[in-house]
Amino acid sequence: MRARLQAFWARLRVLLRPPRTLKVTRTGRTYLVVTFGVGLGALNTGNNLLYLVLGMLLSMVVVSGVLSERCLRHLRIRRLGTESAFAGEPFAFRWALTRGQGHAFALTVAEANAPLTGEGRAGFLREGVEHVVRADLTAPHRGPMRLSGVRVTTTWPLGLFAKTRVFELEGTLLVYPRRGYACQLPGDSRQGLFGDTSTPRRNDGTGDVAGLRELGPTEDARRVHWRKSAAVGKLLKVEREREERRTYVLTVDGGLSGDALERRCEEVAAISHELLEAGNEVGLETPGEQLRPAGGPPQERRILRALAWVGFEELREEQKEQEAAA
Amino acid sequence: MSTPSRVRLRLRDLSAGAAFGAMAVSGQLPPWTLALFGLAWVCALLGWRPFAKRTSTALLLLGAAVMLGFSVARGVVDPVVASCSFAGLLTAHRLLSAPDARTDGQVLLTGLLMVAGGAALSGEMLFAVFLVAFCVFASLAMALAVVEATVPEGEPLPVRAVVRPLSVGLGFAVVAAAAFFLLFPRLSWNMAARRTSRVLGATTGLSDTVRLGGAGTLKSNPRVVLRAHLTPDPGLEQLGAYWLARSYDTFDGQEWTSIGTARRRRSQVTLRPGGERSIHQRIELLPAYGAQTLVALETPTRLGNAVKHTESGSQRTSLVQLGGGEVRIADNAPAYSYEATSLPPDEAASTQLTEAEQGQLLALPDRLDPRVAELASRVLAGEKDPLAAAQKLSSWLQREYAYTLELGGEVEDPLADFLFVRKEGHCEHFATALTIMLRTQGISARLASGFFGGERSNEDYILRAGDAHAWTHVLVPGRGFVTLDATPPANRSSQSMAALQFLTGLYEALESRWRSSVIEFSLQDQLEVAERLVRPPRDSGRSSARLPPARIWGVALLAGLLTYALWRVLSRRLSEPRPHSATRLVDTIEHLLREAGVRLREGEALEELTARLVREHHSLAEPLAPLTRRYLEARFGQRPLEPGEADRLLTPLRRYLEARRATASATGPRRMSS
Repeated sequence: MRARLQAFWARLRVLLRPPRTLKVTRTGRTYLVVTFGVGLGALNTGNNLLYLVLGMLLSMVVVSGVLSERCLRHLRIRRLGTESAFAGEPFAFRWALTRGQGHAFALTVAEANAPLTGEGRAGFLREGVEHVVRADLTAPHRGPMRLSGVRVTTTWPLGLFAKTRVFELEGTLLVYPRRGYACQLPGDSRQGLFGDTSTPRRNDGTGDVAGLRELGPTEDARRVHWRKSAAVGKLLKVEREREERRTYVLTVDGGLSGDALERRCEEVAAISHELLEAGNEVGLETPGEQLRPAGGPPQERRILRALAWVGFEELREEQKEQEAAA
Repeated sequence: MSTPSRVRLRLRDLSAGAAFGAMAVSGQLPPWTLALFGLAWVCALLGWRPFAKRTSTALLLLGAAVMLGFSVARGVVDPVVASCSFAGLLTAHRLLSAPDARTDGQVLLTGLLMVAGGAALSGEMLFAVFLVAFCVFASLAMALAVVEATVPEGEPLPVRAVVRPLSVGLGFAVVAAAAFFLLFPRLSWNMAARRTSRVLGATTGLSDTVRLGGAGTLKSNPRVVLRAHLTPDPGLEQLGAYWLARSYDTFDGQEWTSIGTARRRRSQVTLRPGGERSIHQRIELLPAYGAQTLVALETPTRLGNAVKHTESGSQRTSLVQLGGGEVRIADNAPAYSYEATSLPPDEAASTQLTEAEQGQLLALPDRLDPRVAELASRVLAGEKDPLAAAQKLSSWLQREYAYTLELGGEVEDPLADFLFVRKEGHCEHFATALTIMLRTQGISARLASGFFGGERSNEDYILRAGDAHAWTHVLVPGRGFVTLDATPPANRSSQSMAALQFLTGLYEALESRWRSSVIEFSLQDQLEVAERLVRPPRDSGRSSARLPPARIWGVALLAGLLTYALWRVLSRRLSEPRPHSATRLVDTIEHLLREAGVRLREGEALEELTARLVREHHSLAEPLAPLTRRYLEARFGQRPLEPGEADRLLTPLRRYLEARRATASATGPRRMSS
């Protein structure tokens, strides 16, 4: 019985003090000024038609409030997140919105209390249908970003007021280092070919045949496939997969902090991207984590994740504990 | 431009048109403003916006502003009218400009200003229609603009989905506006009240003369011009009575006039002595009447207690008696009310006439066609009694001549033209022919004009403009003037179409209600409404045939709201997802296990608990295993629990727990004692 009463009291409090914020738009300000003027005119002249117009204007304000409130009710939000978020550049972020009862209109969705810029828009949310809202957000810096809730705003129905409701939804967005150019060379590779080898960016290795291509003007004539060339009537070059794979281990020193740390993380991210793109294997050593050398996009993702956590090791431990507890 | 955007623009333009209409119904805007706005509006609706690529068109507005300012300075145009006109021109300019979000906002804002201006200028019921139209169109346009701004590029705009919730909201807004209007106290500073105008204007226009010839367009006008409450009430649906305005005694061959001079102003005019059987009339001359001549049932004896009704209120006024028995209200006003008494139709009426007036009753036009007298003599065949002669001539005219409202242009001798050429005419021709033919035979007569008819409307009688009529007064020795009508009976009253009459009646009734309930609604009315709500009137006999009292409506509204709230609570509760019967079973099991001191670990399901208890060789495993199996079947195996099956399944577990509790209670005291 007591629990029921407490639940009832909690519901009543929510009903009486809904977590909404109301902001008057520019159009709304003009509307209110005109309403005030009409009110003054009605009081001044005693003209009943002006009272009628005033009543209409005021009731439209009330109706606007009621309809916008209905728009923000029965709303469920799921954070779908992003594939990858790099600091300083827009990334696609998604939320899934579901309306349990009735339709909703003109919704603007954004992350609340987070330094992310940008917002998603949903013009029409049909009842019972999950609608994915996409936004191009921009994170200012690298690292894990704690997300506490999603802010949904509507200016429905007349655009006079912007009503906002924040849906509590905990989460973490891991922002990778800013992508840029690598100014430094990666240093010596730990394994692989050295010296004057052909560039690994070309398909001119010694591996399996990858295909045939017409020989370019300055290309090495020793790679011409003579039999095929004779059959076709033009010079064809053999392309082979590279096998000159090298292994690098990049490091982020433990003594760095502030801008120096940020720059090093961005540099390592850029170098690793280039090396992995070139088909090499890359490992990473950070103060809190060591990644064994490996190749391909998954390794790049692992490196970026590790770089994102550099400097936030305590938070990572907390999150691991929370995940373990969950 | 996409189709939804076009729809939104159309709605925006329609809202601007409705707002301008709210001003235009006042009839006070200069005609060139109407023309310019109308042209711009039509162009905008057709999608032709010539100002879209021109930037210097604002100079046109500047010119219009200067012109209006100059007119105001000269006193030609009222400042409020000038402001409204400028708002209309500004809107027209914006309508023809490139449509973007800023322009849309400006159009809607000026539309709002125009509606407010219309409220200041007009008192017409049509204003309410335009106000609601503006609200509907502007709200839809704004809502579509709001949704359009958030719909991603390429996605369709949900026009139909927007309309439904918005129309419900608008319905509530109209009700709320009416409630505000009713309840908000009328605390007027009354510093700058404006007069209102009437859009349809007056129709009847009784003049000092009656000129023969021309088409009788008035007979087809269905507007209500007079409302009268008679005491005693005749109780007839169609009264069929003559309502006299004035009479004419001088005919010059073309038109009727009367001699006599105006007398001094009085609050009451007595025309002749009344009697005990006099009919008392409380008469309202409505704005459509358009004249100051008082009208009363034939034969009026006394007229007085006149009140003029203006926008600033009602005020008593005086009367002036003129020649021809005409009584006029001294001051000009849109509407009047007064009281009159008249003799019943069968009672003799004496009329005091001067010698000149008596002489005029036999006067003939100088150039009267001699065939008129010959014709009268031939028809009467020696009949000398005035009343009998008049009746004979009247019957003959009704029989031999046709009634028509479609007459040609002016003729030199309209009476001869009627009697010998066309042989058809309207009431004025018939009445003139009878009067003049009687005079040629030495019988005194005069032409009377006013209305014929009387249509029941609630407890009153109404007269329409089409009921305007002319007839003859024959002076009968010993009886005074006797009314005789030569017009065929079927053509005496209004000739308007029945449907048009119905529609006009409806409009007039609505307009009357609009004036009393909206335009003239005051603090006093609010107090009366409140008093009626708190203390209903005791004399319920009179109101029993009408609508229920306001408190009943209040109680009904309250009951409706309570029912709606109850329905909402019940529907919400019923629509809540009901827990699965298997879920209820597992809840009961968990409850029983908690009582037995067995708790599920974090995230542990029932089947995992059972497996754990089996592994641990716990005694609970035996009663719990079949329950768990059945729960899984019911929850996931599409074998729902039958009614009562859950209780049957739970019985072994309950028994086990009871036995365990009994054992614990039996061993507990022993342990304590030991």
